[in-house]
Amino acid sequence: MIAILDKLHAILRRDLLTFVRHRTGFAIIFVGLLTQLAAFYFLARAIGPGFRPGGVEYFPYLLVGTGLYTFFVMSTQAFLSTIQEAQQTGTMEVLMTTSTAPVQLVVLSSISAFAGNLVNLGVYLLAGVAIFRAAVNANLLAIMAVLVLSLVIALALGLAAASLQIFFQRGSVVMWLLSSGLWFLSGAMFPIEKLPQPLLWLAHWFPLYYAIEGMRGALLDGQNVRMLAPALGALAGFGAVLLPLALWGLSFSLRRARQDGSLSFY
Amino acid sequence: MDQVVFESVRKVFRSRPALFNWMGRERAGETVALEDLSFSAAPGEVLVVLGPNGSGKTTALKLISTMLLPDAGSVRVGGFDTRQNAHHVRRHVGIAVATERSFFARLSAGENLEFFASLDEVPRRGRAERIGEVLDETGLEEWADTLVMKFSSGMYQRLGIARALLKRPSVLLLDEPTRSLDAATTAHFWNTIRNLARQETSILLATHNFAEAAEVGDRLLLLRRGELLADRRIVRGESVEELRAFYFRSTGELDETAVAMRSVR
Repeated sequence: MIAILDKLHAILRRDLLTFVRHRTGFAIIFVGLLTQLAAFYFLARAIGPGFRPGGVEYFPYLLVGTGLYTFFVMSTQAFLSTIQEAQQTGTMEVLMTTSTAPVQLVVLSSISAFAGNLVNLGVYLLAGVAIFRAAVNANLLAIMAVLVLSLVIALALGLAAASLQIFFQRGSVVMWLLSSGLWFLSGAMFPIEKLPQPLLWLAHWFPLYYAIEGMRGALLDGQNVRMLAPALGALAGFGAVLLPLALWGLSFSLRRARQDGSLSFY
Repeated sequence: MDQVVFESVRKVFRSRPALFNWMGRERAGETVALEDLSFSAAPGEVLVVLGPNGSGKTTALKLISTMLLPDAGSVRVGGFDTRQNAHHVRRHVGIAVATERSFFARLSAGENLEFFASLDEVPRRGRAERIGEVLDETGLEEWADTLVMKFSSGMYQRLGIARALLKRPSVLLLDEPTRSLDAATTAHFWNTIRNLARQETSILLATHNFAEAAEVGDRLLLLRRGELLADRRIVRGESVEELRAFYFRSTGELDETAVAMRSVR
């Protein structure tokens, strides 16, 4: 256990140092978050106070939806970039010869990518409340429950992207699904009840929808864990299926890459 | 017991045709990288692997490191099979590959080594000292705090060697380790190799450098197109010219340097 924590510390430190030494990138991310918030604030104002999806004001509704959705997309993207960069520089092959099991190494790297973006999510939500005066009614325990289960889903998505990247150098498929293919099914910007029946049915098979709905209930409506049981149950169910599947996929793709000699292909 | 054992190893790389291969000229089919290769390396032995480009030298080293898995036959390190017990094998093996850009560009040399020391489970107690030792051994101590993106090819190569030495491997794999090194560093590195061998480290060194082979090698493996052409001892005091002549005689390649020298005389 101590060895695993030592490795996680080493990976977090590497990613943090790399992040802060990209001096302009550091600023761009935070300016980007504020610009996005401002755009949604004015969009909500333009639409007017009459539109209250789920009984809450539209700006806080957007704040939670887009914040969590951005967290999923950016963290998966960050993790995928780490894998692609390691393939391009040749670091991937060397990392696979260390005393750390390859699957453990990839999982620890993904935790690091998600931890960084969790900070971004916190800054985004705090800025929404502090600067743009979003009204919140938070239940901290419920927020933690949604967040932990969302992290499990995010981890599974990240590992799936890594598996596809290692298997046939196309981890971007997961990014496409998240960022353009299925984003409107997540309910990040409008209630999915407005979708036609087949798409509404499909949206219920999309775990991001439950993460966003759960977080809205916990952060904006003060719902407790018991009230959020359906969303939390769905998230736990998806996590229980997707995470082992993603781990199996990763293990399979790594073994296949070692057999084919394609670990550093990109 | 031999530290490294290859038994009838075959390794093939398959190239699947692209979907629209008719649009380009991508080569499809199989490339046999190693064919029925068997050899072993004893503790403390320096095994020099020679051969033309594409002869399978790097593939052999990658198979030992578990970067690759064999298609047939077996590779064992310290008694552990690389397919069944890869995790145990990796604890024994340190590798420095020829194309050394495999570091994190925005970390310093010391930070990179700290990162890899952690993944290689170098004990926390004494880790800083060990990093200092390998930096000193490779002449990088004064660049410990320099970001590696500012490094030259030679410095990258030295750092690659430092990383390979970190966990005190019982098997050290070196792929053209002195390709970008200056003369003084090369001479120092050859001393390091001899010291490690005296401490019972098995060393497999793939090279095109006959002087290196003559200087540090105990035994020579000669590969061509994945097949073993020769496996023999390097006699102490054997000259570079003798090794060179043996190489060209065995591979059947034309030694244009020797031809040119004869025409000058």
